[in-house]
Amino acid sequence: MAQNDTIIKGWQPVIGLEVHVQLMTNTKLFSPAKNKFGEDANTLVDLIDMGLPGVLPVLNEGAMKQGIKFGLATSAKIAKTMIFDRKNYFYPDLPKGYQITQLHFPIVKDGVVDVNGKEIRIHQAHLEEDAGKSMHDKYDNKSVIDLNRSGVPLLEIVSEPDIRSAAEAVDYLKKIHQIITYLDISDGNMSQGSMRCDANISIMRPEAEEYGTRAEIKNINSFKFVEKAINFEIKRQIKLLENGGTVEQETRLYDSVKDETRSMRTKEFANDYRYFPCPDLVPTNISPELIEEVRKDMDELPEEKEARFRSEYNLGDYEAQVLCSEKTTANFYEEVCKVSDPALSAKWIIGEVNALLNKHDVSLNESNINTKNFSNLILKIKDGTISGKIAKEVLEEMWEEGSDPIEIIKSKGLEQISDEGELEAIAQAVIDNNSSQVEAYKSGKDKLFGFFVGQVMKETQGKANPGAVNQILKKLLAN
Amino acid sequence: MNFKEQRDLFRTKKVSAKEAVQESIKKINGDNLNIFINSFQSEALKQAEFIDNNFDKFKDAPLSGVPIAHKDIFCTKGLPTTCGSKMLENFVPPYDSTVIHNCNEAGSVMVGKTNMDEFAMGSSNETSYFGPVSNPWNSDLVPGGSSGGAAACVAADITSISTGTDTGGSIRQPAALCGVTGLKPTYGLVSRWGMIAFCSSMDQAGPFSRDAFGCAALLDAMASYDSKDSTSTERPDKNFENLLAKDFGSLKIGVIKDIDNFGINPDVMQSYEVSKTVLSALGHELKEVDFSELSTGICSYYVIAPAECSSNLSRFDGVKYGYRASDQKDISKLYMETRSEAFGDEVKKRILIGTHVLSAGFYDAYYLQAQKVRRMIKNKFESIFKDVDLIFMPTTLDQAFEKNRESNDPNRMYKEDLLTIPANLAGLPAISFPNGFKNNLPIGGQFVGNYFSEDLLLATTNRIQEVSDWHKMTP
Amino acid sequence: MDKIELKNLLFLARISADEKEHTKIIEKLKNTFDLIDEMQDLDLSDLEPLNNPLELNNVSREDVNNDRNSKGEFLNNSPESDEDYFLVPKIIE
Repeated sequence: MAQNDTIIKGWQPVIGLEVHVQLMTNTKLFSPAKNKFGEDANTLVDLIDMGLPGVLPVLNEGAMKQGIKFGLATSAKIAKTMIFDRKNYFYPDLPKGYQITQLHFPIVKDGVVDVNGKEIRIHQAHLEEDAGKSMHDKYDNKSVIDLNRSGVPLLEIVSEPDIRSAAEAVDYLKKIHQIITYLDISDGNMSQGSMRCDANISIMRPEAEEYGTRAEIKNINSFKFVEKAINFEIKRQIKLLENGGTVEQETRLYDSVKDETRSMRTKEFANDYRYFPCPDLVPTNISPELIEEVRKDMDELPEEKEARFRSEYNLGDYEAQVLCSEKTTANFYEEVCKVSDPALSAKWIIGEVNALLNKHDVSLNESNINTKNFSNLILKIKDGTISGKIAKEVLEEMWEEGSDPIEIIKSKGLEQISDEGELEAIAQAVIDNNSSQVEAYKSGKDKLFGFFVGQVMKETQGKANPGAVNQILKKLLAN
Repeated sequence: MNFKEQRDLFRTKKVSAKEAVQESIKKINGDNLNIFINSFQSEALKQAEFIDNNFDKFKDAPLSGVPIAHKDIFCTKGLPTTCGSKMLENFVPPYDSTVIHNCNEAGSVMVGKTNMDEFAMGSSNETSYFGPVSNPWNSDLVPGGSSGGAAACVAADITSISTGTDTGGSIRQPAALCGVTGLKPTYGLVSRWGMIAFCSSMDQAGPFSRDAFGCAALLDAMASYDSKDSTSTERPDKNFENLLAKDFGSLKIGVIKDIDNFGINPDVMQSYEVSKTVLSALGHELKEVDFSELSTGICSYYVIAPAECSSNLSRFDGVKYGYRASDQKDISKLYMETRSEAFGDEVKKRILIGTHVLSAGFYDAYYLQAQKVRRMIKNKFESIFKDVDLIFMPTTLDQAFEKNRESNDPNRMYKEDLLTIPANLAGLPAISFPNGFKNNLPIGGQFVGNYFSEDLLLATTNRIQEVSDWHKMTP
Repeated sequence: MDKIELKNLLFLARISADEKEHTKIIEKLKNTFDLIDEMQDLDLSDLEPLNNPLELNNVSREDVNNDRNSKGEFLNNSPESDEDYFLVPKIIE
């Protein structure tokens, strides 16, 4: 069970994640109100989302299809019959006083994902409604309720406790993120809350047969915080147990400002959700025909895309993997390849473009780089108009201004000088003006060749075609 | 006046919708039985004028030009809907229930909303926040419940038709106690959209009228497949009014073996026996069937109904609509005080029972066991319906009883539903009709039929009413 | 059922009752459970629970949104609101 490299001070962390994913649908799970983020408060609220007396839920087929898609993507069992249950609790942003969810008969069971060559099992994924939002800053003595999110469809993906380190938890989460964004199940935007994560964490001695008592950390909203929260919690539990204490089974909150987890206020009485089958919704059969329909419409999975990229564009494993790690990047690459050289495009996306994205911490579609201007850049590199060094400059300019590389090259006069006559004249002048270096070179100081190349580049402000310069200098210096 | 006479007067232009509505309004204003929670007189007159002005359009509609009273459990857009509770005393729904919509389309005119047990929980109409309804036959007595106002409204001749809902007998029991005809359709035949939920898996709306004819016409209006209700069923292609005349031939009618063991009052038993001879005389074959499990239905019902109600009524929290307590120290206090101040004792009691039977450690012994009893009852009905076309039995154990009996013996009140509950557990249709008269009070008998056999229930009742007069008696 | 159980039950149901009433409420509930408990003697282990009488297959609707915006109407219907939100006493997390 234990993996040596994940053991910390003789303790093996055991981690399971519950990931809530807001589904990309037009409407809510049980109401025809629009499912959209960022609209004015309480404008996307139907009678049903209000929980008005007498209203009834009707299941959104689109949400069901998204759940099936996730099941297919994780080689899971799709339920023949799924059942919705009510989870009863009082909270002002929960209009009906219960959440409709799935307890015993979820849409998806027994899936698996590959994380760095290791299989992490998915216990189940179930459909449920999101709650509204309550906010506490507008007034001193009042909280305010916005029900736009009330009823938004969620898929809660529950892993088995197969994860052994914070880093592995992040990799698992990234894998889930990759799957849901690849299949347009969700936009996976953690900062907007369309992907949220709870972590169940316990520690055990490697030789122990039973897991330790676990604590649950609620609502962690970034990859970075997942890692930090888990690491903090592992350390806290180790310290606790080594000082003779015990871990309490409880819910904790991660405070990203203080970088710590803390116990949520324990209520006077334990909550008891009193789950029971929702009598407004009878059991839902999922037909093989529906599953086939979803399968046919399903986009390529990351692994499938990688394999195709390797054969279609003749890429290596590493290149294919990096290009396919995010769907937006993969799509970008494919679009560029329609007009540009695949190998050169891959090299530039993986290298310079990714470097810029990382540096500025934005995604490709948020940047000024688009397939049109990037294709033009690759064309200009390929046909020798600009050198790699100049190309980096042009890319920076594109990044800042979003302008077309052809315009940048033209307006700044960055075209590479490849004209042999022109280059030969410059090279000859360099040779004529540096006779002592020529002497030294000819007497065997081969290293000085770079000096001459540098001088030519300096004269041409770097625009000389390096290949041509080498050739010309070799010819002239041989005389 | 019965429904058919009233509708004929409109269709032959002898009485306009407006005149009919004016007559009903006059009676509402003279009502001292507390039948109505709200009446909408100016709206009703306006709607009646609209129907009169569009006579040709409405002439052949099932309820053309007839005043109707709706149980105050159906949401009415822009008009108060209280469900008999302080919680919703000032609640004005922003939408119409499907039943209201269908009845409007069918040419009826709503004159008001009738009194009822709070959130339909009760069998005597005494749990209403707006006070009890008196039985039109004797104002010291209860009209039954929870649709007590709706039954009394027809019995007192204020309107010839009214709507009700039946979760454990809430149409049939008051129909029996007030001497009118009331039908609980098959679960799913009438949409629950906009009908305030008590026990979602049993609640079913249905018609009241003096006779089977009025019930058939009102059911024609009420029943429809509704995509807004996931438990709604495709409506059989039947016109219940036309099918009243259909000859279903000689039927096998099941009568329950040893039914007197259930503690039925001798007067009720006597009427039951008389009805049996009427059925035989009409050419039907009576067949004794064993249904000893019938009485366990009560146990199942008083687990499942409170369980669902405890959840259904959680939305009444003082946040989005309805009553809010003035003590708002914190959110917990707001919930506690709002719900304690605005729910009546019976509702609170059922919420507590329902909360208990669903809570950890009790779920299996209560909720699950109750759902198995429910299965047992359904199975039993299915096996009985292999042998018979209909089951006939009394609707209630007793005739109308005195007010305040409940406080002395609540379980006796619960047992009052003994004979009506099984049909709700199984989702079967059942009709109660007047079949006797003793102590100056009506007595009711009921048929329970197989799924979607409303046409048979109505036609069989209609045949009885052609040869008997119990349904013509008025207080 | 004892008073501690009742307190927990009252909390779960968000209903408050004066301590003086507790004995009476327990009595009332016990009385009902006496009626209910008659079913406990039945051995129904071979029966499947029945949640819904018709045992239909659930329907679903197409994923097409309406453009309803009833914000004003909903907020007006509420016990307390401002121009954008429903208001409740401050929730202390």
